[in-house]
Amino acid sequence: MASIRLDQLTKDFGGLLAVDHVDVEIEDGTFLALLGPSGCGKTTTMNMIAGLETPTSGEIYFGDRPMSRVPPGKRSVGFVFQNYAIFTHMTVAQNLSFGLRVRKPRPSKTEIDSEVKRVAEVVGLGSMLQRKASRLSVNDMQKVALGRSMIVKPSIFLLDEPFSNLDAAFRAYMRAELKHIQHEIGQTMVYVTHDQVEAMGMADQIAVMNLGELQQFAPPLEIYNRPSNKFVAGFVGSTRINFLPAEKVAVPAPKGTDGGSVTLAIRPEYIGLVDPGSAEATITAKVDLVEPLGATDVIHLSWNRYDIRAIGRPGARPRIGDNIGLVFPFRHLLFFDDQTHEAVNGPYQA
Amino acid sequence: MARIRLEGVTKRFGDVVALNDLSLDIADGEFFTVLGPPGAGKTTLLRTIVGLEKPDAGEIYLDDRPITRVYPGDRNIALVFQNLALYPDKKVYDNLAFPLKQAKMPRDEIRRRVENAAGVLHIERLLNRKPAKLSGGERQRVALGRALVRDPRAYLLDEPLSALDALLRLEMRAELKHLQRDLGRTLVYVTHDQVEAMSMSDRIAVLREGVVQQVDVPENIYHAPANRFVATVVGSPPMNFIAVKVTGANGRLRAEHESFEVESLRDTGESLQQLAEGGVSYVGIRPEDVTIVEDGKGIPTTVYATEPLGGETIIDLELGHQVIKSIAPPTIALQTDAKVAIRFDAQRIHVFDAAGRSVMSAAGADGVFKVSFA
Repeated sequence: MASIRLDQLTKDFGGLLAVDHVDVEIEDGTFLALLGPSGCGKTTTMNMIAGLETPTSGEIYFGDRPMSRVPPGKRSVGFVFQNYAIFTHMTVAQNLSFGLRVRKPRPSKTEIDSEVKRVAEVVGLGSMLQRKASRLSVNDMQKVALGRSMIVKPSIFLLDEPFSNLDAAFRAYMRAELKHIQHEIGQTMVYVTHDQVEAMGMADQIAVMNLGELQQFAPPLEIYNRPSNKFVAGFVGSTRINFLPAEKVAVPAPKGTDGGSVTLAIRPEYIGLVDPGSAEATITAKVDLVEPLGATDVIHLSWNRYDIRAIGRPGARPRIGDNIGLVFPFRHLLFFDDQTHEAVNGPYQA
Repeated sequence: MARIRLEGVTKRFGDVVALNDLSLDIADGEFFTVLGPPGAGKTTLLRTIVGLEKPDAGEIYLDDRPITRVYPGDRNIALVFQNLALYPDKKVYDNLAFPLKQAKMPRDEIRRRVENAAGVLHIERLLNRKPAKLSGGERQRVALGRALVRDPRAYLLDEPLSALDALLRLEMRAELKHLQRDLGRTLVYVTHDQVEAMSMSDRIAVLREGVVQQVDVPENIYHAPANRFVATVVGSPPMNFIAVKVTGANGRLRAEHESFEVESLRDTGESLQQLAEGGVSYVGIRPEDVTIVEDGKGIPTTVYATEPLGGETIIDLELGHQVIKSIAPPTIALQTDAKVAIRFDAQRIHVFDAAGRSVMSAAGADGVFKVSFA
């Protein structure tokens, strides 16, 4: 069993709280992403799970077993790092079989060969087994690194930004591959990334971190549609979410702490575009700039000195300087307290 | 006026050909982007235009004047580097004024130019600060300001946003495009980021290993790519390529897959000669043009993985021995291994030959291709 529980996990690097009382619990077979900007504590958290760092306080449990005194080699965790560690003088097959060949007692040659073949198929190296690792592309090297960890069947698989050095097309390919592999073998995975697309696309559960603190722990779509605070709302999403002072927009808004002000937030793709005079329009804004991205356009608008981004279709592209009506659908509005930056329940949930 | 023209420019570093017989014609006032992966020769191209590298062959023209032998300082072209080089001990004002002081410009004129540049870049309130006290975006603006004060004829920008974090890059993209429009000067922009290229440029040149693959407006780069390389460089996730067998010429292209067929409705004439009868080629279709249909009438596939991204969900589908990507609305709920039918938007189909060269693109037009399935 490899469920993981982080209980008030804390790491203090001489006054710098890298990880600050983090609580996370996942079931066996879960794909967990630790997501956040650089310096948020995600790698330190992973290093504590791996045993490469000792917690200052708090505990890590695999199943019911506390792990903080268990050495890394005894934890049954596999790693894949950003900088792949593979033996370049060996063939792909030799690299893959390495973890089995050093195991005691050593498995039979037939067993090793069949495992190497199986894993090579899974990671997409089936046709390259006899090739020297030094002659592989960087993409294939990372597949070898992945396969090498996989073959020893760790109960937990830890990946630290494994694809961040690779090109965008390969990352998109590997996202689907990794998610498929994880589905096939039901492996518990902890994936560290600063790329929200990777976290959203692959994870069952995302732990969003910032400055050592856990901001939100939830499934991807809940993180996206119900962010717990302003930081999470702004960090997740390919085109930046819009923030506007709620009092200036004619929508029923909740009150903040002590009756204080709140910020309204709406994701660009949820904004409807209509004629400027339309009764549906929540506000009317002026087009500043249109950025064509191919499948969609990002439309930059200004309204009362605020910048607003909306998503348009290339077939119906507005002109710069045009006024257009923006519809803010009620069910997609989010509100954040201006003092605490925490989410405030909007009327839509009542 | 600053039209920049390169004719047959070749630059070698030892055995490496960084630029290979490269020709470009950049119009006055154009936002022109050179897009390519690391090592494509982008930076060498900029350095050659500005005069920091001397080409081994070919000629560079500024308007109609050959400048290949003109000293860099006399070309009056500003180059803004990837790594922002600001003087840490000088205030922003002095950072901006420095190149003008070096040029022995009168003090009043320096003040006028610095204030003007600061106004354009919205950094007036930062003039008395030192670089260490600035955010990444502010530093970026100061670096641009250093080029602006010189009032050059053209700007060359080398990956200026790559050091910034994702959110700031987004903002700076819009700002740069604004700025270029306001200045009305020729701007040559180098990047490996397809979103920056697509969103800001008037035209894009896609560069690979020192060779120009295609020069065109963003729409055509996206919808009518010249080859598979160009098709992959823009679009996220990238275009799907499905291996097909080309059959039945008769002036019309017919691409067969085990579960569908693409047929050209027009006489494709000469371009067909590119494809050997019975040879392998590729049908290209972007993920957003692959639609999952609910009525089951379509090409049969199996769900391989689903990737919810919030605003949309990527569905990875097994089609024969391949996995292709489809973009679906976020409300879609599909389990891995589920059987689903898909359709291709016939107006967005591309056919590439075995070497990856484009044979035909529907490029948004109706009546170019017909897709049928069993």
